[in-house]
Amino acid sequence: MPHPMSVELENVTVTYQEKVALHGVNLSLKSGSIVGLLGMNGSGKSTLFKTIMGFIRPRIGRVQIEGLPISVAQKRGLVAYLPQTEQVDWQFPVSVYDVVMMGRYGYMNVLRLPRPVDRRMVQESLQRVEMWALRNRPIGELSGGQKKRAFLARALAQQAKILLLDEPFNGVDVKTERAIIQLLMELRNLGQTILVSSHDLVSISTFCDQVIFINQTILAYGATAEVFTPENLTRTFGGILPPLPWRGDV
Amino acid sequence: MGLIHGLTAPLQYEFMVKALVLSGLVGVVCGVLSCYLTLKGWALLGDAVAHSVTPGVVLAYVLHIPLAVGAFVFGVGSVLIIGWIQSQTRLKEDTVIGLVFTGLFALGLVLISKTPSNVDFLHILFGNLLGIATPDMIQTVGIGCLTLVVVFVLKNDLLLFCFDPTHARSIGIDITRLYYILLTLVSLTIVVALQAVGIILVVAMLITPGATAYLLTDRFDRMLMLAMLCGLGAAVLGTYLSYYWDAATGGCIVLMQTLWFLLAMGLAPKYGVGRRV
Ligand SMILES: Nc1ncnc2c1ncn2[C@@H]1O[C@H](COP(=O)(O)OP(=O)(O)OP(=O)(O)O)[C@@H](O)[C@H]1O
Ligand SMILES: [Mg+2]
Repeated sequence: MPHPMSVELENVTVTYQEKVALHGVNLSLKSGSIVGLLGMNGSGKSTLFKTIMGFIRPRIGRVQIEGLPISVAQKRGLVAYLPQTEQVDWQFPVSVYDVVMMGRYGYMNVLRLPRPVDRRMVQESLQRVEMWALRNRPIGELSGGQKKRAFLARALAQQAKILLLDEPFNGVDVKTERAIIQLLMELRNLGQTILVSSHDLVSISTFCDQVIFINQTILAYGATAEVFTPENLTRTFGGILPPLPWRGDV
Repeated sequence: MGLIHGLTAPLQYEFMVKALVLSGLVGVVCGVLSCYLTLKGWALLGDAVAHSVTPGVVLAYVLHIPLAVGAFVFGVGSVLIIGWIQSQTRLKEDTVIGLVFTGLFALGLVLISKTPSNVDFLHILFGNLLGIATPDMIQTVGIGCLTLVVVFVLKNDLLLFCFDPTHARSIGIDITRLYYILLTLVSLTIVVALQAVGIILVVAMLITPGATAYLLTDRFDRMLMLAMLCGLGAAVLGTYLSYYWDAATGGCIVLMQTLWFLLAMGLAPKYGVGRRV
């Protein structure tokens, strides 16, 4: 039997009330790849993430994770999701460490008592995003970029096979961004599947194996070298070719 | 009269021992739950459930079934009705909550006035700690302990549910289940606290300790401990006060809660009003 695709969408259409946000989306992401998701504001990137996570039900079509329905995949801890904006109460009495530990709950028994392996993973994740020094801060007393990094650490601590990152670099400084990209490439080499949206075209084109261009439907999808072309960029970004330090002789 | 004597002398009366044990338990259970209610922003919902149980208690009395059953059915039922009205109309949540609980409370008052021997029901409205009968006491202790055990087993799941339900869902935790569990715990706690302070003051027990503790710490575990201590201290001291002053027990307990809160608000190192003085 062939191994099922990491993430598979078949003819997915999503509507908000009557407004169409996505239509006819077909995707199959295979494991061990980093896939970039590019599109204008309102093109449906976040909607695609929420649909994969099962937070929005498609009007038509089907989503599968490793050949399983999303609810089953979530119970098995197969997916970690970093939303574009966290809908949490920032006044909550929890520390950065506590928040990252929440990423490990899926591995713990019903009492959710951390074991040494959980503490080790939390420490490692916090160190990778350079937040270990701030581990005891209340979550609300962080800067915007630091908050993003704390929640990224939580997603990493989940050790999920599939990482869904909605604009993880938004508000994150260059140095941290480099470190995170480095880390994502290591995870990819270990066989994880990473879907990442961004508005930073240059950096996406350097570390993604594949890119998806989206505007309510998939405009182009394939290996970066093949689909990252001026035509596709112009088509995706409303007739304007975004300024790029263009590689090679295109 | 020495302090020690003042504290021990009332213990020769069985009713005082029962009252202290019960109020202490109520204080602890309510203290724990109040942390979740303050963090989740369910203060108004808690008040609504507390008032909505009134008709349930009266009907249970008339039908000779345990009062806790009637209270529980109407407590959870009121929240279901609130959710249903909200999904069917364009009204905001606090409006719907106000509508539903006043309606049910009014129904309770009418039922009380039409039921013979309505003296008993005054106890439900205002509490009757010093006169509680043994079967009621056993039932209350049982429910209180059960609630405590469930909260401590699910402590972290409930915390995650209040803090970040999206993440809870994405790791496969059933948040609808947690919602109903928390709601059930609130209803059961209200049943327990009714005996002590009565329907009208229950919500104070379910909010004030959590609010006090929230001003004192940034750590959830400490918040739980502090809220439990506040609840316990207020309940026990309030019961003594009511004995010596011959004043309403529920009122004395809630006054002690309010006193803790005012102290915390004035003196809390980080979040108190005097922090920069
Ligand atoms: N909750 C909602 N209700 C109704 N319409 C929505 C909702 N969320 C998004 N939309 C609409 O769906 C479309 C896609 O939104 P989405 O958030 O997926 O865009 P995006 O590609 O993530 O944009 P951005 O780059 O700004 O994050 C937009 O036109 C938006 O207005
Ligand atoms: Mg978005």
